[in-house]
Amino acid sequence: MTSGADRPGSPANFHEKRTYRRRRLTDAARLAPILALVLWFIPLIWPQSGAGTVSSATALIYIFLVWAGVIVMTWGLSRLLADDPTNRAADEGSEE
Amino acid sequence: MSTLNLLIAVCIAYVSFLFFVAFAADRLALQGKKAWLRSPLIYTLSLSIYCTAWTFYGAVGSAARNGFEYLTIYLGPTLVMVSWWWLLRRLLRIGRTQKITSIADLISSRYGKSSLLAAGVTTLAVIGTTPYIALQLQSVTLSFSVFAAQSDGSDPEVYRDLGLWLSLGLAVFTVLFGTRNLDAKERHDGVVMAIAVEAVVKLVALLSVGIFVVWGVSGGLSEALYQIDASEFGQWHTDRSRWAGLIFLSAAAFLCLPRTFQVLVVENDDESHLRTASWAFPLYLCLISLFVVPIAVVGLSIMPEGSNPDLFVLTVPLALGENGLAMLSFLGGFSSATSMVIVAAIALSTMVSNHIVMPIWLRLRPSGASVSGDVRAAVLMARRLSIVGVVMLGYLYYRFSGGGAALASIGLVAFCGLAQVLPAMLGGMFWRGATRLGAFAGLTAGFATWLYTLYLPSFGVGTILPATIIDNGLLGWAWLKPDALFGISGMDQLMHALLWSMLFNVAAFVTVSLLSFPSPLERLQAAQFVNIFEHSANTRTWSRGGAQTEDLMVMAQRILGAREAQALFAGHARKQGARGDLPEPTPDFLEVLERELGSSVGAATAHAMVGQITGGMAVSVEDLMAVADETAQMLEYSARLKEQSEELSRTALELRNANQKLTRLSIQKDAFLSQISHELRTPMTSIRAFSEILRDTDQIQPDDQSRYASIIHDEAQRLTRLLDDLLDLSVVENGQVNLNLRDGTLRDALDRAVSSAAVGEDGAQLEIKRDPAREDIALHTDLDRLSQVFINLIANARKYCDAPNPCLTIRVMQDADRIVVDFQDNGSGISPEAADLIFEKFARVSDQKAGGAGLGLAICRQVMTRLGGSVEYVPALRGANFRVVLPYRTALAAQ
Repeated sequence: MTSGADRPGSPANFHEKRTYRRRRLTDAARLAPILALVLWFIPLIWPQSGAGTVSSATALIYIFLVWAGVIVMTWGLSRLLADDPTNRAADEGSEE
Repeated sequence: MSTLNLLIAVCIAYVSFLFFVAFAADRLALQGKKAWLRSPLIYTLSLSIYCTAWTFYGAVGSAARNGFEYLTIYLGPTLVMVSWWWLLRRLLRIGRTQKITSIADLISSRYGKSSLLAAGVTTLAVIGTTPYIALQLQSVTLSFSVFAAQSDGSDPEVYRDLGLWLSLGLAVFTVLFGTRNLDAKERHDGVVMAIAVEAVVKLVALLSVGIFVVWGVSGGLSEALYQIDASEFGQWHTDRSRWAGLIFLSAAAFLCLPRTFQVLVVENDDESHLRTASWAFPLYLCLISLFVVPIAVVGLSIMPEGSNPDLFVLTVPLALGENGLAMLSFLGGFSSATSMVIVAAIALSTMVSNHIVMPIWLRLRPSGASVSGDVRAAVLMARRLSIVGVVMLGYLYYRFSGGGAALASIGLVAFCGLAQVLPAMLGGMFWRGATRLGAFAGLTAGFATWLYTLYLPSFGVGTILPATIIDNGLLGWAWLKPDALFGISGMDQLMHALLWSMLFNVAAFVTVSLLSFPSPLERLQAAQFVNIFEHSANTRTWSRGGAQTEDLMVMAQRILGAREAQALFAGHARKQGARGDLPEPTPDFLEVLERELGSSVGAATAHAMVGQITGGMAVSVEDLMAVADETAQMLEYSARLKEQSEELSRTALELRNANQKLTRLSIQKDAFLSQISHELRTPMTSIRAFSEILRDTDQIQPDDQSRYASIIHDEAQRLTRLLDDLLDLSVVENGQVNLNLRDGTLRDALDRAVSSAAVGEDGAQLEIKRDPAREDIALHTDLDRLSQVFINLIANARKYCDAPNPCLTIRVMQDADRIVVDFQDNGSGISPEAADLIFEKFARVSDQKAGGAGLGLAICRQVMTRLGGSVEYVPALRGANFRVVLPYRTALAAQ
């Protein structure tokens, strides 16, 4: 995983940085479902009655906007985490 | 042509189309054109098996009744798909490397291939899925009847038999395309393709109805939103516990339902498809739920009071005269129902045949599974029968439950039942400490709670659970009321059941796992599952150190033997400077290990074995263990053979030595016989000659006469002595001798021996050196016999000592448990090869000095053995040295 650091020269730095980026990407991929869950749990704190209740249309738009956001986010992450042979070892290794 | 006939014609055409699609896909797959069949798009669409007729029709009904709650059913699976990186990727990798064929297989495989667990999960799946199949049949017949009733006004009851024909048709389709092959990974190209087509049909149908409702009826998006706000659920109002609980429940169900597991894991061909599905399937779910609320709102406003909101998708277009759209909608519902039944039947039949039917069949067969083709046919037959059985079970359930409201709520009840598998599944994937007993306890606790609090009550009060139990609790204990365990009432029944069943499930699972100890196979499987990414690298060489040393150790021990394997591993750990006894699985180490294993099982097998643990090949761990066990047995066997052959050659050598000794003895004996005849003859000759002289000579001098007589007497005595010796030896040898035990001292015995040996001494004097002070040891033994031994040794020294001034030293030594008496002379000693023989009968060191019969030492040895001691020849620096050993108890007894 740290083979880049063992080698001298500039490619090492470049490789290190990419590995680092990729690790953070996998972190993001792990956190994505939590973000989605939190956003979809927001309706739980909306008032159920009295003043300030949220209209159905607003609720519907909110939920579907979050949905669209989640889809776009997952799409982006899956694109960025796409199979890159040079980085495969790094991502496999960071799994555990 | 009536609408009904048209409907039937469309149905038949559609089903024929499905048959064609499945058939064509299977043909293409056979020709190897799998690229398109196995694309990420097809995979994503096949996941839509999650959306059944219950969601197609029921979502609108649920929205009309409970507002936004229906969304939770789609949000849960979306969250699961978004968790692809840490959850689904792992699940798929496990499924691929372990050749998982169903959810029951996954659980069983993780927990040490437990067939009991597999059968349990299968039972749970059948109980949970049968009502669900019934629900699909109900939705189709219901839509059929409503559609036809609205068109023709005929009685909907006429279409009751439709359910039977539908289930028969589905069973045929599933048998045809679901059991074409016995592929290890259970992939069904035709079925998956048909499912994908049906996914498109249902999405298009729902979207068409939605677009028609929003833009055709409401008059645009903003108007539709306005209508929603103006309708009876204009304000956000949702049961909070159900919102959270149902998201969890649907997420769990998406992972645990047999049919979704089938398409998600088993039918998956390429892990990279998951990347596409991770966003594409949420998109599908989003689209399919997008127009549910507008349809419900419009349905509520235009349909007459009391009409079934579950059928708004169908009835709204019909009411507005859009027959074509209604037909499309009907096909959407039909698609949802049929695809669900087909995949559920495949998934369940795999589980039932693999985990229930086949184990029983194999056990009942007397000869076991000896012929492979035989078993293959049996498996296929079991699977076909299981498919028909599962579908027919659904049909019977539908017939006897009578449809209605009880069925409508069964969807979530089934979700809750199957979610009980979740703790064992996730625990098995992420926690090495999860054990078989734990999984079994968790499943049992969760399943029992679910059965008692939700499933049995779902049949209605008084159907299975009597009303007294529901009102007063089990055995009259109020805290056991099915809808208010521990007296906590007021909760929604589903949430109540979900909460308690999951709590009991997880608690039992964790507690029993912590307390129990897993079997070796379980531990190996646990390592394989939890560290799946380290075990299943795609690389072929050992370039990555991903192997689990512990597992390698387990395997190496089976093949090399525990001590050798430990030594090998410990040696490498030291070389690498690692802490503990386990080295890092570096390529170097793997190569060495492979060579070591290769020497036992062959290089190819060794590579496959190491590959199994490090690289994830297509051999199951169980196979591997079997191979390892077999090899270990063979090694043991060959080691035993080697040992035996070594023993044989040792015996042969001993025999050869004994034979040589016997031959030597035989020669000695021949020599002795001639000697003894000579010995007997010489005195005989003198006796005869002198007795003849005495008889025949008349004038004989008196002193001559007495001289001759004494010669005869001496010779007769010599003869008697010889015969006495022979007699004595045979008596001692046969053990008939009676020991005359007396008290005395060693000095007495030696004194007697020295004086006796001096009798008849002539010629050369033998000087005897003694140390009388040390000889003063009390004895309790047969002193006469002991003296006899001493006399013999002294006489031998006198006879054979060839020194000019012969001298015998008698030394007495005493240690903890014995007394040692050495007789050492100053002669030239005895050659080693002669020393070997001197204690044998008739043995004599040399032929020249024909002193005795060669029986003395043999008698000595026998006597000493009888006295519990020994006499032996001890090679000394100079002279012959005989050592007499007396046991100390002989001395002790005298004190």
